[in-house]
Amino acid sequence: MIQLFHVSKSYERCRALSDVSLQIGKGEFVLLMGPSGAGKTTLLKLLFCAETPDEGQILVQNRNIARLRSSDVPYLRRTMGFVFQDFKLLPKKNVFDNVALPMMVQGLSAFDLRRRVSESLKAVGIEHKKESRPLTLSAGEQQRVCIARAIVNGPSVLLADEPTGNMDVGLAREIIELFKAINARGTTVILATHNALVVEQVQRRVVTLSGGKVASDSGGRT
Amino acid sequence: MRRLVYFLRETLGNIRANRTTTFVAIGTTGVTLACFGVFLLLYLNLRTAVGSLQDEIQVILYLDDGQTKTDTASLRERLTKEPEVETITFISKSRALDEFRRQFPADQHLLDGLGTNPLPASLVITVAPAFRSPESIRRWVARLEGLPGVTQVQYSREWIENLETIVGYLELAAVGIGALLAVASVTIIASTIRLTVYARRDEIEIMRLIGATNSFIKIPYLLEGATLGAVGGVLAILLLRASFEVFASNLGQSGRFLGIDASLAFLPLRVSTQLVVAGLVLGSAGSYVSLLNLGGAR
Repeated sequence: MIQLFHVSKSYERCRALSDVSLQIGKGEFVLLMGPSGAGKTTLLKLLFCAETPDEGQILVQNRNIARLRSSDVPYLRRTMGFVFQDFKLLPKKNVFDNVALPMMVQGLSAFDLRRRVSESLKAVGIEHKKESRPLTLSAGEQQRVCIARAIVNGPSVLLADEPTGNMDVGLAREIIELFKAINARGTTVILATHNALVVEQVQRRVVTLSGGKVASDSGGRT
Repeated sequence: MRRLVYFLRETLGNIRANRTTTFVAIGTTGVTLACFGVFLLLYLNLRTAVGSLQDEIQVILYLDDGQTKTDTASLRERLTKEPEVETITFISKSRALDEFRRQFPADQHLLDGLGTNPLPASLVITVAPAFRSPESIRRWVARLEGLPGVTQVQYSREWIENLETIVGYLELAAVGIGALLAVASVTIIASTIRLTVYARRDEIEIMRLIGATNSFIKIPYLLEGATLGAVGGVLAILLLRASFEVFASNLGQSGRFLGIDASLAFLPLRVSTQLVVAGLVLGSAGSYVSLLNLGGAR
């Protein structure tokens, strides 16, 4: 499903990733571990085509995204979901409209849009807040909205960058349980975190990055 | 349909969110287009005036006193066949004298002193519209001068040429001023949209991350620019109409010089509509310019 071959990426003089090779199969739950600056976010950005690698090749669903034209990037992103640490919700739109946005972009019918947004909101347990504005919600609720938006398209891959970064332990556990449930339905989940408690809770493959390199891989086929 | 509703909602949302800059943009676009409209009004009214003056372009052939009635009739028949001739009128010597007496009653004694009628008979020709350009008339007159029985050919050459030159300069100025004001409108609207885009840069980034194409992101801003331009165009028409009414009423009070007030006309509906459409196009162009940088981002 996702393959990285000798991928490197630098920002000015700082090497963010160095000769990284990874293979992630369909339906896997992979935790990207490592301290700040280890290259976790850069790796996710590369998978999401927000950045292009300086060296190496990246295949996502058999498409070489290093060679992807800019005009094709939105269509690849529609097959993925992304959960951000800072949620990235539109403050002027209510919860329903925020979650509906990826559907709107694809031009889905009003009926399908309502049905799928309701399903997503229900899946993350926040359907009752669909009329609320994001800034009136707690951090945990906002992250649930962000997850609902990420899964509303039924993506084959879900990428999450420190989704529990600013949460207390209890709230973080609830959010991670949501990711586990999404993964149980067949979605490949790649979650970047530096929180050891998450590793303990998920009990799946862990890829540890250090200084932009793969330091260890608990279940990989590199 | 749902997408269209989304785009319209976003456009209105943008306009509402940036009320001050929106009003400034509409106001400045309106004034800019109104400036162009003033010029357009002046040009169209002058063009109409020139057109009516050109209807009066006449060529006068003065005939030799020795011409017989048969000679004059055959000359007239020959001229009637010329494509340049629209109408032809024969003015006999006696009629010329009568007209002179009527037009210049104070100078009658000059002719009385001569004893004979010194005024020649003439053929007064109204030139057909297709041949009213200075060059056509000049060529034709050169030909007429060689006709037997014609002593002199007179036409208001300088006057015709001056009129054409004025209209030519007006057309040139219309293009120049129009282009300058168009650039000004595009720049104003581009700056407004750039402010909106800057204010919503986080939103644009989110839209990209959820898989929105560039065109999906840009359409609301293009619609916003088009709306600002079109509303600016309507404002320009309203400003022009009000100014025109004030000008026309003041003209009436101050003596209606040269009978200009009678022929003075506001922009026809077609031209007014074109001005609003021009605003819409300029607004869209302004948005397009301000969104050029968005195209390359991933």
